[in-house]
Amino acid sequence: MNIKKMNKGLDFLREKYGAKNGVITIKDGHCFVGATPLLPGRMERKIVELKKMTENGTLEGVSTLRFASFASKGVSLEAMLAKELDLAAYLGASDVVRVMAVANGPAINVLAKLANDVNVSVEIGAGLPKGEAGYDRHEIIAKRGVACDQTVDTHTKHESIRCWGSDGMEEYTDVDTELFGLSYDEIWNVRAAFALLQGRADAKVWKAAWAKATKAAKLAFAADKSKAAKTIAVKKGLDTNQSIKVAEVR
Amino acid sequence: MKPVKIAMMGMTHGHTRKYYQTLLDNQKLDWVASCAQDKDAKKTYELYKTGVPCYLDPEEMYREHPDIEAVVIASANDRHFEQMKWCAEKGIHILSMKIPTFDMKEYDEMIAMCDKAGIVCQIELEMHYNSVVRRLEKLVKEGAIGKIKSVQATNITLSPVWAFPWQGDPQASFGKVEHLKKGDPRYKGGALCDHPHIFDLIRHLTGSSFDYIYAEVAPNLRDGLKVEDMLMAVGKMKDGTAFLFDPSWSRLEEKLAVPGPGWERFPKRMEVNLTITGDRGAISCDCFGPNVYHNGAPNDRYTVQYTYFDEWVGLIDEFVDCIRNHKTPLINLRWHKETIQAMLGCYESIQTGKIARVGG
Repeated sequence: MNIKKMNKGLDFLREKYGAKNGVITIKDGHCFVGATPLLPGRMERKIVELKKMTENGTLEGVSTLRFASFASKGVSLEAMLAKELDLAAYLGASDVVRVMAVANGPAINVLAKLANDVNVSVEIGAGLPKGEAGYDRHEIIAKRGVACDQTVDTHTKHESIRCWGSDGMEEYTDVDTELFGLSYDEIWNVRAAFALLQGRADAKVWKAAWAKATKAAKLAFAADKSKAAKTIAVKKGLDTNQSIKVAEVR
Repeated sequence: MKPVKIAMMGMTHGHTRKYYQTLLDNQKLDWVASCAQDKDAKKTYELYKTGVPCYLDPEEMYREHPDIEAVVIASANDRHFEQMKWCAEKGIHILSMKIPTFDMKEYDEMIAMCDKAGIVCQIELEMHYNSVVRRLEKLVKEGAIGKIKSVQATNITLSPVWAFPWQGDPQASFGKVEHLKKGDPRYKGGALCDHPHIFDLIRHLTGSSFDYIYAEVAPNLRDGLKVEDMLMAVGKMKDGTAFLFDPSWSRLEEKLAVPGPGWERFPKRMEVNLTITGDRGAISCDCFGPNVYHNGAPNDRYTVQYTYFDEWVGLIDEFVDCIRNHKTPLINLRWHKETIQAMLGCYESIQTGKIARVGG
């Protein structure tokens, strides 16, 4: 991630729409504004749409979440899993209370339970060749309706553009006109920082949510080692899974 | 920069609601008023709870808000001329919907009155602010596929006629009541009039102008529709680029009075797809994908939930920049004239059964 470019993008948004001052920093591969960890996954527009569907009546009676995330070799499985478990709690609107996992080399398969009894499966793999963009999938299965950020009847990622040129085939998916030129990960970190500085996201909530997610991910690896599910006590108080205000065009 | 005091007029165009969020959010704008065509349009507008006052009489709106600097004209095509005239007389900048008029005499008068008033008149072709189109233009410009030889483009959607009846009314949509061709009971003014984007995009991508065009209408999908809903066109640009366009209403819809979830019967309500063949490669492009997909409420049908949809943000930014910095919009009346002429060429070809020379 190019922090200089990201902060330039953040300044552009702050100037245009108004927001407090702040800069994005990076530590151990994770982005922060001050001491607040960013949750860029919650800002991805596909996740925003899925969250809306769980709240506006499109889906009724969520039962199971099926998630997957694949990245290139060397990416931290624990960081990948923490992100997915945070999204599970966010989209399932309930904290993770139990995790069981089986790991093997660059992969870990996790079966988790939310406090509201929803099941969550997460497959994580970091076996793609270096430089590959990666791929993820988030499927919500409900009594009424299934929603997914990948299209039905395919297991390949849909891209906006395929260009067959003299150097072979290249794919492009651009998802943000205002931040055109930034990578997918950079865009959602900038949007997350912007949401925080505008006060649409709450620093306390994000700190608490990320602490829960990283703890659950750590426990998943412990569960693999001990071959026994790990339980996480639910803390009363702050609801860390509330949706963030976003633009609406329908 | 001082925010531009902006208003909306008409409120009967299918794109009206798409402006609300950006007009409210963008700090370079101060959305002060709206003026609806009639009580029904006002009632629909009020469903969105923008908090911006809505009038029924433009003069009353102007009396209450004499500081209006710019107007988004969001009305039926046959109302554009009088509304542009109203704006030009008051020196108010204009953001026009995608078809200013199909009457070329009127069109030239629009150019003259905007020139005389010294106002910005930007045409709403929002695809230019779509990030996929931006990438596509960049790739073509950088020579990723060499010189363009052929363009196939679809601008296919559901039909908005049930929510916006003027789009099925030949007078309101096309500006006059004219049969498509001899012996055909249908009139001009349907799907073609809703879909100028691909006629514009090819001009930007190739840097060339239309040479000729040939079009055919197919049987309508919708019973009782007075205007065409299915047609295709082939033709050539002056640089030799061959093209094939599909500007149909080929995706069926539920007859909703107000657009919203469950409008689509086909999973995806709108597609702008291009395949471009160059002399050193090819590009395939889906301007509205990827997305999120579901089969939940209201109709339990597999549905594409649009996910990346911020064309209006860039469009409005350009409009403000043109007003404050005295620039000419990319899609201005003069530029857009050839796009309208190419669309008229389709109707001419349907009528004659022969190719139509564009602008000739």
